[in-house]
Amino acid sequence: MNASLKVGLVLSGGGAKGAYQVGVLKALRELGTRIDAVSGASIGALNGGILASAPSLDVAIERLEELWGRLSKSSPLSLKMPGYVSLLVAAGLRMNGAPAILAAAHGAKRLAQSFDVEFPEWLNGWEDGFLDDKPLQQLMDEFLVSKNLQRGLPLYVSLYESLGGLEDIARALCAELGFGDTPHSKFFHVQSIADEEEQKRILLASAALPLLFKSRRHDGRSWSDGGQGGWQTMQGNTPITPLLEAGCNLVIVTHLSNGSVWSRQRFPDATILEIRPSKSLARANGPLAGARDLLGFDGEKIPSWVEQGYQDTLQCVGRVLNAQSARNELRTSEAALVNIERESTNADQVLADAMARLR
Amino acid sequence: MSEAQNDELIGEVTRLFTCLPEKFVVDFANGIDVVRERQRHMSTRTGMFDRLYDGFTGKASQNQAEINGSLTDGVEGALEWLVDLTQSLAKSNRAIYQVQMRVSGMKQDLATVANYSADTRYALERLSQHLGDRCSALELNVARIDCTQRAQLHLESVMGKWGAGRFAGLSLTGRCYAVLEELRWGAFGDHCLTISGTERQQLLEDLANRAIIQLSRDAQVGQGERIDTRNRWLARPSADGPRNVSEETLAYLGDWSCPDRSPMTYAISQVPDELPLQVPLLGSARRMTEGLVNELFLETSA
Repeated sequence: MNASLKVGLVLSGGGAKGAYQVGVLKALRELGTRIDAVSGASIGALNGGILASAPSLDVAIERLEELWGRLSKSSPLSLKMPGYVSLLVAAGLRMNGAPAILAAAHGAKRLAQSFDVEFPEWLNGWEDGFLDDKPLQQLMDEFLVSKNLQRGLPLYVSLYESLGGLEDIARALCAELGFGDTPHSKFFHVQSIADEEEQKRILLASAALPLLFKSRRHDGRSWSDGGQGGWQTMQGNTPITPLLEAGCNLVIVTHLSNGSVWSRQRFPDATILEIRPSKSLARANGPLAGARDLLGFDGEKIPSWVEQGYQDTLQCVGRVLNAQSARNELRTSEAALVNIERESTNADQVLADAMARLR
Repeated sequence: MSEAQNDELIGEVTRLFTCLPEKFVVDFANGIDVVRERQRHMSTRTGMFDRLYDGFTGKASQNQAEINGSLTDGVEGALEWLVDLTQSLAKSNRAIYQVQMRVSGMKQDLATVANYSADTRYALERLSQHLGDRCSALELNVARIDCTQRAQLHLESVMGKWGAGRFAGLSLTGRCYAVLEELRWGAFGDHCLTISGTERQQLLEDLANRAIIQLSRDAQVGQGERIDTRNRWLARPSADGPRNVSEETLAYLGDWSCPDRSPMTYAISQVPDELPLQVPLLGSARRMTEGLVNELFLETSA
């Protein structure tokens, strides 16, 4: 109880449901929780980047609310798949069957071309397997202040070493079906990278969905969406390891999927507070509901995820704090008992002396 | 969660979230949310495809294993908490035992103090009684000394008047009788009534001595020299004239006397033609004075 508190925040990937993390941050701010380090994957890396580059938690939340508010008001999918949205789609790879959907979409694109059928305009960018970076660059320039990132919160992002778009998808598909696992993602401390452009490249790489986004090169290797690494255990999508190595003694982990398979049991020595959704994060129904939620940048879903993140955080953290409060009260009362015992012992001696004089 | 609950929780947390929470507490409390979320998720995966998919990929067993693990952690946390709570309860019980011991000891001490207080009160009452008695005795002594002092002053005053010739209008023994009567009815006489024994004897002897000296001086004879009673001791200052006021007063003062029980007084105050038989015809100053002192002080008091 007397150890100095160092709190790490893990922002996992999950596409449009990343709005949930805005609610988490709002609740943590209201709860008075400080954040000493942050790590993220996919959408979590971008949210984390904005958080780390902000001078305060208040400013970070303000920027994130503005960003997500803008996304909820406009229809990102009608904007010919802008880069940032594509990145969010990439973060949605964790959904069951998502790689299959992507592969199927890729195949359908080629099939449509064979039969000279008109394909949606926003999928034209897939022809060469890459999307345009410029919209993403603009959003990052607007909301992520690179010069402040260097002196901001320590930020760790997970990157997955890419062997090429199709092979990455194939490995993820095999892992999803239980045939082996993908290699672990690597974690990078963003502030350790001196060049600002390189930092942005790392952030872009963390969410670079194979086939949707081109992988990024760093240290002579290609890197793509970190959420792909350690698929079976969500090692890359929930990057807690760098925070533990950085000395965080309390790590708050946010999940953006229902029934996340990530397990705290793999970190028996760490104090981990998970914020899991108290009710389903799914908003869409019917076929491909998961994919539609991943791309659910609309005025209904985003505010509901923000609110849910806020309420879930209050509930999860509140339950722990109520229990800890009871423990603290117990400890305080025990300490008071020890103190009064010392005083009573002195009083006993004084009384004994007085009685000895009387007798 | 209501707004009020939120505010309450926020207030609580702002106070608490400044120190590291204990791991087992976090695992125990947070594990509830983790298990509940997994169970809720599993309960939605009841469709045939979902069941087949989860079974094929191993996610079902993985989820169940995680739930089991969290439950085990929860039970371990509960056990740890229970042990801790029990130890704390044991400490509290020991503290209560200590308190009881102290209360018991204090009761005994209080009984000692109460007994001491009662003893002290009794001693104080005895002391008070003793001091009261002592004060009363002192008051009596003071009163006696005061009485003695006033008797002495009275004696000095009356003897001074005699010596100054204030009773010159009376016969020699009449002067002595007047002086003794004045002393008897004043502070000297009162003092004589309060004392007895040797003290009274000494006081009357002193009176007699001083009266003998003054009477001898008035008669111009020695203390033991005997002279004629009627012609000297009872002789009026002016033998031919009528009785003066002093003589009349003297007769009035001695009208209680009788020849048998107080012959000297009778002879001196009433001046009878025939002297009582007990009155000597020749007498010394000592004989006259002692006779009068005996009749006025000793026989009266008897």
